[in-house]
Amino acid sequence: MKRDEGMPHAQAQELLPWLVNDTLAADERRLVDAHARSCVVCRRDLVELERLRESFSESADPAGVPAPDMRRINARIDALVERDGRFGQLVAGLRDSLARPWRLAFAAQSLLLVALLTVLLWPQPATDEYTTLTTPQALPAGDYLRVVFDPDLDAAATARLIDGLALAIVEGPSERGVALLRITPPAGGEDADALAARLLGRPGVLFAQPAATAEP
Amino acid sequence: MTPPESGDKAVRQTAPGERTLLEAVGRRDRRAFTELYHRYHPRLHGYLRRFLANGALAEEVLDDVMFVVWKDARKFRGDSAVSSWIFGIAYRKAMTAARKESRYEAQLDRGAEAEAVADRPPRHRDLLRAALRELSPDHRQVVELTYFSGFSYREIAAIADCPVNTVKTRMFHARRRLKYLLPVLAGVDKEKTREKG
Repeated sequence: MKRDEGMPHAQAQELLPWLVNDTLAADERRLVDAHARSCVVCRRDLVELERLRESFSESADPAGVPAPDMRRINARIDALVERDGRFGQLVAGLRDSLARPWRLAFAAQSLLLVALLTVLLWPQPATDEYTTLTTPQALPAGDYLRVVFDPDLDAAATARLIDGLALAIVEGPSERGVALLRITPPAGGEDADALAARLLGRPGVLFAQPAATAEP
Repeated sequence: MTPPESGDKAVRQTAPGERTLLEAVGRRDRRAFTELYHRYHPRLHGYLRRFLANGALAEEVLDDVMFVVWKDARKFRGDSAVSSWIFGIAYRKAMTAARKESRYEAQLDRGAEAEAVADRPPRHRDLLRAALRELSPDHRQVVELTYFSGFSYREIAAIADCPVNTVKTRMFHARRRLKYLLPVLAGVDKEKTREKG
């Protein structure tokens, strides 16, 4: 197998899904194509990915797309437009009041009242629950590790870090490199703490700890 | 079956028209909004329906997405394609809705799907559907946006508001997991069919 044409194998591997969906830039496409022509692994993966793409096409429309019904959204927009309109009228009224001093005092008082009511009645945005790396999380049965990889690592480097360990990334890594790893039995006799310790010893792993699970 | 209008390609061809439409929506042009809604309805419905178990919820979220488009059209700065901007809103809404969607409903849907699969020989698309449900939401979104909506990895990074390397890494691990899950699910289904026969 000859893998030195076009671009490095790991880089070509990462781009294969977008070669299949035909969205690579012309120069990237040329390099990945050149590599795939001389790489058995990439050619085999391309066949699999093409099959995956076809399956997506087959299952594209499982229940049929309903006809667009804009009644609900139109009602929401009407309500918004009406609210904005009322605000516009209020502004116009204030402008008129400025011409008559006795009205100005009344308008100022009204405005103050409206501002006060707005502050009191404005719905507070829901805030997302604050979680940390050690916050217990409802997870399917099994043992998990919460790991933070160096965010600058690419996919291949991340994969190399867990090579040889009975671990599979099931979630993430997030933009900050946080990932959830499932311990896949057999773990070679190592428990979650031992695996976390081994991971921490590898450069590129910033944090590793058994994930605390909560009742679903 | 003909694949859905491949989101990104179709959008690239009609991009100037959509940008003009969005600008008109920013000026509160209801006719332009109706046109934009009709153009995006099939693509957004397909994308949201695949991600959320409940069809009615998908339509509700679609309306939420387009309502944000109406309200925030003036905020569109033109740094990305119109489709990336709209799908970015859909991505965030879908993630929130998926988190809120009741576990009970999801289990019902999954149960019905498993029964349907067990009643006939498993097809690759049924297995794929089941396997996708096993992926984490962020891995699944990258796969769906690539293969169903036809976006490039750079556009997915804009939609998900994350670095391109993160998109590639998520896809890498999603592929790895699918590679493991598809044969496992196929094996289980074959066993079920054999037992029934």
